[in-house]
Amino acid sequence: MRLLHPRVATVLGWLTLVSLVALALFGLWGAPPDEVQGDAQRLMYLHVPTAWLAYLAFFITALASALYLWPRTRAQTWDRMAGASAELGVLFTGLTLFVGSLWGRAVWGVWWAWDARLVTTAVLFFLYLGYLALRHTAADPVSGARRNAVAALIVFIDVPIVHFSVEWWRTLHQQATVFNPELSAEIGGVMAWTLWLGVLAFTLLYVYLLDRRYQLATLEDELDADGLDAAIVARIAEADGTPAPGRSEPPGGPMTTPVSAP
Amino acid sequence: MSDVGYVATGWAVTAVVIAGYYARLVVRTRRATKSRGSR
Repeated sequence: MRLLHPRVATVLGWLTLVSLVALALFGLWGAPPDEVQGDAQRLMYLHVPTAWLAYLAFFITALASALYLWPRTRAQTWDRMAGASAELGVLFTGLTLFVGSLWGRAVWGVWWAWDARLVTTAVLFFLYLGYLALRHTAADPVSGARRNAVAALIVFIDVPIVHFSVEWWRTLHQQATVFNPELSAEIGGVMAWTLWLGVLAFTLLYVYLLDRRYQLATLEDELDADGLDAAIVARIAEADGTPAPGRSEPPGGPMTTPVSAP
Repeated sequence: MSDVGYVATGWAVTAVVIAGYYARLVVRTRRATKSRGSR
């Protein structure tokens, strides 16, 4: 089971690849170097789209979790989608931190600073890592999914804190270039178009990867259910004293109490 | 490291991480499909 029709997914995959190649060409060669930061600013074409994707992925996780908790829309689909999206969010938050660290080293002279934006983003990364770990601990799928959904809504609180941290506190990190309170992009020309291309390319990538990850989650759930069914049948057969279907008896006949040698 | 070095590292690592994640998804999906088919 997939979110997208296979043909749509194939077209989306090619569109994503083409847009990422175009982004690399514009980001590395087409767009001019920044007047102040020089070539180091070319990391912005990765840093901003990956950060945007992390926000988007965690928003989808929270939305899917809310839909799971709402009795009228409760379905395993939402739990799977929440988990798939959170995994992508963690991946892109990690990339945001990595690329941001390189950019910081180039323009600030340090790999890391105890700055509000950086710290809240690192907290976000670890919160969602914890959420992913929590997803693997459930014994019962239904109560586990409910607990996951509640946890996803709680950890989402950090997303607006990350975004507004540069407005609420004095930070070394620059304020939002595009999604600022005035919604006036402080960037123009080829640089702006390249940035928008990056946002588009990474959004396509997110949708494509979400579809693939969701497909995998569905297959894994089905395998788990098959394994559980097989285990239940085996236990029932064991209790009845008959061999379970599909299970051969051990060599030498059925298991019996060992007889001690005279 | 020069600015170009930081930029090259950032772009290369991002590309490798995304490609690696995608490859892992494909392999795990194939393996799961095969396991499901064999049951």
